[in-house]
Amino acid sequence: MKKSTLKRVFAATVSAAMVMSLAACGGSKKAVEKQEIDLTIDQIKLGEDYTDIEADLKFLTHKTDVIDTTFSEYITEFQKLYPNVNIEYEGITDYANDITTRLTTGDWGDICMVPMTVDKDELENYFTKLGDKAALAGTYEENMLNNYAYQDNVYGIPSMANVQGIVYNKKVFEDAGVTELPKTPDDFLDALQAIKDKTDAIPLYTNFAAGWTMTAWDANIDGGATGDPDFANTGLTKGENPFADRGDGTGPYAVYNTLYEAVKRGLTEEDPTTTDWEGSKGMLNAGEIGCMVLGSWSIVQMQQAGDNGDDIGFMAFPITVDGQQYAAAGPDYNYGINCNSSSDNQIAAMCYIKWLVEESGFAQGEGGLSVVSTDEYPEALTALEGIELVVNNPAASGEENLFNDVNNDSELGINVSGAVPTQVVEEAVSGSKTMEDMAAEWNEKWTAAQESNGVEY
Amino acid sequence: MNEKKSFKAWIQSGKVNRKLCIIVFMLVPVALLLIFTYIPFFKMIGFSFYDMKYIGDREFVGLQNYVEVFTRKDCFQALKLSLYYIVASFIQLALALYFASILSFKVKGGGVFKGLMFFPYLVCGIAVGFIFKFFYTRGFVLDTVLQWCGFNLENLPYWLKDTSINNISVAATSIWRYMGQGMVMFIGAIMSVDASLYEAGDIDGANSFQKFFYIILPNIKTIIVLNMILSITGSLSVFEPPYVITGGDFGTGTYFVIMNKLAHESQKVGLASAMAVVLLGLIMIATLIQKGVEKYYFGVGDQESIREVRKRKKRQELEAKGGAR
Repeated sequence: MKKSTLKRVFAATVSAAMVMSLAACGGSKKAVEKQEIDLTIDQIKLGEDYTDIEADLKFLTHKTDVIDTTFSEYITEFQKLYPNVNIEYEGITDYANDITTRLTTGDWGDICMVPMTVDKDELENYFTKLGDKAALAGTYEENMLNNYAYQDNVYGIPSMANVQGIVYNKKVFEDAGVTELPKTPDDFLDALQAIKDKTDAIPLYTNFAAGWTMTAWDANIDGGATGDPDFANTGLTKGENPFADRGDGTGPYAVYNTLYEAVKRGLTEEDPTTTDWEGSKGMLNAGEIGCMVLGSWSIVQMQQAGDNGDDIGFMAFPITVDGQQYAAAGPDYNYGINCNSSSDNQIAAMCYIKWLVEESGFAQGEGGLSVVSTDEYPEALTALEGIELVVNNPAASGEENLFNDVNNDSELGINVSGAVPTQVVEEAVSGSKTMEDMAAEWNEKWTAAQESNGVEY
Repeated sequence: MNEKKSFKAWIQSGKVNRKLCIIVFMLVPVALLLIFTYIPFFKMIGFSFYDMKYIGDREFVGLQNYVEVFTRKDCFQALKLSLYYIVASFIQLALALYFASILSFKVKGGGVFKGLMFFPYLVCGIAVGFIFKFFYTRGFVLDTVLQWCGFNLENLPYWLKDTSINNISVAATSIWRYMGQGMVMFIGAIMSVDASLYEAGDIDGANSFQKFFYIILPNIKTIIVLNMILSITGSLSVFEPPYVITGGDFGTGTYFVIMNKLAHESQKVGLASAMAVVLLGLIMIATLIQKGVEKYYFGVGDQESIREVRKRKKRQELEAKGGAR
């Protein structure tokens, strides 16, 4: 008898708890409110202000490989200055996809790397304003702050900046008799051919199967392929038929055509569908791969992937505009702070971001450029002497979202999905479409998207 | 005291008690079903009428997303790939039925074989994808095994790159994965067949084939049809194998893979939701057609098929006419 009453009480309690938690689910959405704080990152003096602040921070990161090593050292270092701030890192493997969904909940943590998918006019609804652009420009490279700035308010500070180009194995190039770095697409293809003929290495490894690695080709099409810091806005976003062949071996067409020709001439790996990203690092290091198109962030990873770290070199994309070679430089992922966190958490997060950018040495350790104006180039990029770095200018006011909108509507996924280089590889393998066919197709999609977003030439 | 007793009595009275039991027991599954299936589903139907991204404002566009689904080339083109998976699922069912009818009788090491064949179903789909990615890599498992059999590596195709064969390669992985599950279901059904039928068959001198076709098959037809429906609807919504193994490249992008690309890479959440709703409609139609065909040709459960009933009626009518003449 008693037992059955107990059971009933238990069941009733469980069901009540269920209903309560359901109600809580419904209500919690409103509990998350934007917390305004009156502080900007340039006002903080590290180690002097807010040293007694207490906060538990959650940090979402794409760098899953160094959470237990580098990042935990950072936390120890940071806690020497701010002993009451605890930081917990959460690594997300499929970062670019997952973070967007998590952001929409408003309750994801305190610091994250701002994804490309947030439109600029939406930034203020998700992220804390870190300062005015003019005020921050004193400390940081002004051009690097553009990606997540809206109407002169900055919402993200780049963790580091990258130079786009090609990471290569110096020894393989020497063995093939290539003594001078190629400066045009034709030189580059000849060099690849020489590698194929004279060595056992795979001349160019596409890393096709990983998917995201293909976006590295997209990153070369604006500044690096034209030398024009405004090309991304006037040439690509608002330009007429940006993918058309310019005839002089420059521009987006030249970049993609290089890939097309390399695949078509058999200068890449035999089977692109089964490439292995983690394995490719060791293969480049060991001289089994000649080169890969990737940003400068990859240099350190390639060097550490084996015993021949000294063989790894970095060159600009082989396109020369009027006798000058350029390389696109731009910010990597930006740190952003959740504007729904408590104000103490936001302030602590701001201190940590400032410390990461200015004191941690993260950018240098990763082989990237620091965005702090006074810092110098890392060693790995010294080979880029004589090459001009191009940082894209910001879009005109009122057109901050235009590139994202056109890019999404056209489904070309420039810098997002790598859909264009992926198609290039597929068609070069099957040979059903020529480069001209594809360029015409992209132009058509791009133009339609431009029209629906009100772009006029 | 008195009141409490009456409440106790009330709550223990048969009628209330029974209802309470039903409600309490249903609460958890219904809540789970609502939270994880129906609420997201109706939300998705709502999304399909908007032009929206994950982040940012949404704009009501009515049926425009649906119009786009039907006018785009790639959406329905992708459904053609389902044919590969439908063929694969029939091969898988035939194999499952074959092994089931062998293993449901006394076989040496039957339990071990059952276990081995069921095992792939327990492996998570993503892991299966990675297994087969390496399996098909040039010079890896499959190529090595074929070389042992005397094939020359130069004559072998690139299993995932060659567009004439890569869809077959990918679809084959789902045979490997789901065959065991089908087999276990069939074994269960065959076990439930009345043993006296086999005895009767033995007495009449039926051989194994006759036993299979005249005893087993008619008795498990419901479960076979059920499996067919499940595998055809499953074939329309294949996602894991192409997504993990090829990423949908080189012409292996199924409907779901394209949907995923639109939603996550081009941020067209409304369009992708509309695609999902359209697919749901297609699956429902496919199921209804199958149900109808089943009713007409085979009959459901103990019911006779409509075709049989009509035939008999016709015969009876003829006989009646003949009798009148």
